[in-house]
Amino acid sequence: MITRFLGKSLLVFCAACVLVPLLWTLMNAFKVNADLLTPVPQFFFDPTFENITYVLSRQSVFGALYNSLIICLSAVGLGLVLGLPAAYAIARNPNRITQEIQFFVLSLRFLPPVAVAIPFMVIWLNLGMYDTRWSMIITYSLITISITIWLSIPGFQQVPKEIEEAARVDGYGPYAVFAKVALPVAMKSLLGALAFSFVLVWNEFMLALMLTTSDAKTLPIVASEMSQQGLNVPWGILNAAVVLLSIPPLLLLGLLSSFLNRSFAQKNR
Amino acid sequence: MKNLWEEYLVKIKSHLKTTATSVAVILASQAALAAGVCTDDVRILAQPQAGLTTTEGFASEFEELAGVGFQIDYLNENDRRAKSRADASVIGKYNVYYVDEANLAQFASTGWIAPLLDHYPAEYDFEDFDSGRQTTATFDGKVWFAPITGGGDLMVYRTDVFEAAGVEPPKTLEELFEVVEKIHDPENGIYGYALRGQRGSGANVWRWMPYFRGFGGEWFNEDGTPAFNSEAAVKATETYLKLFEYSPPGTRTGSWDESTGAFNSGQVALIVESAPLGGMSLNPDNSNVSDKVAFGTPPAPLTGGGYAHGFAIGSKANETDAERDCAALWIAWATSKENELRRLEAGQSGELNRVSVFNSPEFAEAFGEELPAALEATAPFTRVNFWQNEKWPDLGNRWGIILEELITGQRTDINEALAELEAYAIELNSD
Amino acid sequence: MNRRSSLPYTFLIPTVALLAILALTPTIYALNVSFTDRTLFSSSSNYIGFENYIDLLSDRRFVNSAYVSLKWEIMTVTTTMIMAVGLGVLMFECASPKMRNLYCLIFLIPVLLPRVCAAFVWKFAFHPLYGIVTYPYRAITGQPLDLLADPTTALMVVGFVDVWQWGFFFAVIIVKLLESLPPQPIEAARLDNAKPWQIHFYVTIPMLKAPLISLALVKAIESLRSFDLIYVMTRGGPGIATETLDMYAFSQGFIEAGKIGYASSIAVIMLLTTIITFTIIWKRVNK
Repeated sequence: MITRFLGKSLLVFCAACVLVPLLWTLMNAFKVNADLLTPVPQFFFDPTFENITYVLSRQSVFGALYNSLIICLSAVGLGLVLGLPAAYAIARNPNRITQEIQFFVLSLRFLPPVAVAIPFMVIWLNLGMYDTRWSMIITYSLITISITIWLSIPGFQQVPKEIEEAARVDGYGPYAVFAKVALPVAMKSLLGALAFSFVLVWNEFMLALMLTTSDAKTLPIVASEMSQQGLNVPWGILNAAVVLLSIPPLLLLGLLSSFLNRSFAQKNR
Repeated sequence: MKNLWEEYLVKIKSHLKTTATSVAVILASQAALAAGVCTDDVRILAQPQAGLTTTEGFASEFEELAGVGFQIDYLNENDRRAKSRADASVIGKYNVYYVDEANLAQFASTGWIAPLLDHYPAEYDFEDFDSGRQTTATFDGKVWFAPITGGGDLMVYRTDVFEAAGVEPPKTLEELFEVVEKIHDPENGIYGYALRGQRGSGANVWRWMPYFRGFGGEWFNEDGTPAFNSEAAVKATETYLKLFEYSPPGTRTGSWDESTGAFNSGQVALIVESAPLGGMSLNPDNSNVSDKVAFGTPPAPLTGGGYAHGFAIGSKANETDAERDCAALWIAWATSKENELRRLEAGQSGELNRVSVFNSPEFAEAFGEELPAALEATAPFTRVNFWQNEKWPDLGNRWGIILEELITGQRTDINEALAELEAYAIELNSD
Repeated sequence: MNRRSSLPYTFLIPTVALLAILALTPTIYALNVSFTDRTLFSSSSNYIGFENYIDLLSDRRFVNSAYVSLKWEIMTVTTTMIMAVGLGVLMFECASPKMRNLYCLIFLIPVLLPRVCAAFVWKFAFHPLYGIVTYPYRAITGQPLDLLADPTTALMVVGFVDVWQWGFFFAVIIVKLLESLPPQPIEAARLDNAKPWQIHFYVTIPMLKAPLISLALVKAIESLRSFDLIYVMTRGGPGIATETLDMYAFSQGFIEAGKIGYASSIAVIMLLTTIITFTIIWKRVNK
């Protein structure tokens, strides 16, 4: 009984380890510097909206938000268009070649980002495309396509073959089976896979740091620049930027959680 | 002190109102001159300065003047140096770079920036800048940047702490050690001294150099062989590490922001730092000790680190003369007398560079007589401490990393550390 | 399925071709540049053979960064796995299914946060003067605590943030794995009066051996991406105490000297090491 109580308290403590720092950051986003830079943490203060307004009115933040959205959504779109069909083909044709392809796709994740970033920088410079949204979309599609393939294969495998057979009997061709049967049936898992790839590129840092300087700068870069200014850092503003940057991935929390539930529940049936 | 300050603010506000009309007239005539100069927004890569934020607040004035807007991207000193170098050499997205005494040689000799005065509008009166800053902005006989900040080193100390301990401001390094030993009281939140520990030719190395040069150290012999691996360097490093025992935590991996921040928040009793700290420490907006500071010259034999930062025209982003004129117009506007007066009004003494502003009654009223006198007294001690060469940033940054290792205790052998730097310098010079 | 269908080809060939181009071009390019003395500031360069690689061997910062990277890998992978298994079992034993779902949702948050945000949140929490984590220490001793400026603790603090992100995430996966196990062996052990920890140590964890190894491997691959955290929190400092291989390559290529050729040779070494190591391990594990 006592151990059970201890275990429960430990769980509560762990949850606090996750939530307290985040709530603290959220609180700090509404503090003026005088309330932030105190030796004793301040839990009660007059909230100010100055930080949030400043962040939202700042051209660089706004531009970066726009860039991040365009680049990430386009890259995820490419992942969808190119990755989902490939995943379906691999899932429905298990043989040596598709196995090797599957491993190749996974092995892209082994590439150290720095090994990709340096040459990409030189390549984009030579092509005159350095620091453009296009170059970022193409670079990121390497991530989104491979992750989408890797995570959607199980989703397609779980589509019962009988349904596809029945559709074929009704006169559907292979492409129609993919578009009208497999895709809708596997939809929920696929959405999860796409959401994961979105979070991955939204959070990506090193490639963006090396491949952009101003025009195509993404939100993580702008946030990190603010954190590197020393003690005169507008800490409240920085907290506000962090909150802004964190919102999109957290909006996908529910989707990703049900994706995990589904993949593990069915795998071991 | 505080009353005086408020009184001054009221005065200058009314003064500015009356001059506003005349300023508007001048600006209108300039607008006529400049119309059509700019076609695209001006992009500036800078490091954060309070005075620049003030200038940003008057962005609409520049828009009227040039017909375009501008955008400043801010990075801290080390990052600003790294990024501006990459951008100036291969990318060319920024019209205006923030350069400083240490990387001027590199930027000018490689042609990454264009000579300023070819494009600088005469009516902004470049000659009005402090002559020391003008000299620092000159390389190879040409002027390359218009200063935003600069100066030498100033000793700033806490009168209350000194009185309580019954000590006098130190005149020599020996006295400095005696004084610091007496006033160092971390139990009660007072640290004796503050230094910079963070890597970088403009960070820890910058503060270390006055000791090195003060002890007679030289960087290179005439024939280009390294000369810094010397007794002076060993002694300077030993002294620097010894003094770090009195420096507050956070400064071991901190730079200007951390050490001056510690002083202004009341944790430090004595500090030798770049001159803008003087005015900052008097401004109650960013200093908790504004009513109990006094100034002096750095204790002998320390030399003052002469420096200046400013704005230069990027070559790569501005290919045509018209584009360069536009960049120069922004530079001239941002460093104009009007903008300096606005900084003065906001109490941002660190970003003032014009003789006419220093000599103005507003300046005297704002800062009294002590600070200007102290600043003048530091001039004879101010030197060029670094190696004036385009390879200085590389060498200085390498020493910065090694020095940071020494400060944080990852290595202890000073001779070995200097030998490593010497090997690097030889390799650097052979390229 | 119609064996003659063109579908596998039309679906696979363009995608695989694009991925191959996107991945191989930079890799080959990096290899090529690593044999030159190319710098960031001039586009002309000479082939210098293996000079960059030879120089690396006598570069103490390279040796140090390889060591720091290895330490980082071992440290983050083991602590993440230990924490994930411990927390996963704890959730399985002590929380009702309803609470379990709530905890899973909460524990999923850290990994979704951008690394830059996680780094910043904890950098401020560990601030020597104002941090909320260092507050108890300050309150008791009256002294500030600067863990990120201390060479012995800096890497641990950064590693802590990494484990904070991944440990909770893996705990969620492990609890789902435990839930999916057949209940009979656990019931049998319960009837034998085994204590909960014994059940897990001797029954469930061995049953999950294969997925746990896969998870450890995934973590090892993801741990290669330490750059964001280190860049925001320490920049490789103090000194070179937290300078990993990617941080050092970045410093050489961009911050300090702009030596792209030299930085590429570091990147190539990383590339070869990781590809060879992980290919061998992955193929062996998934046989």
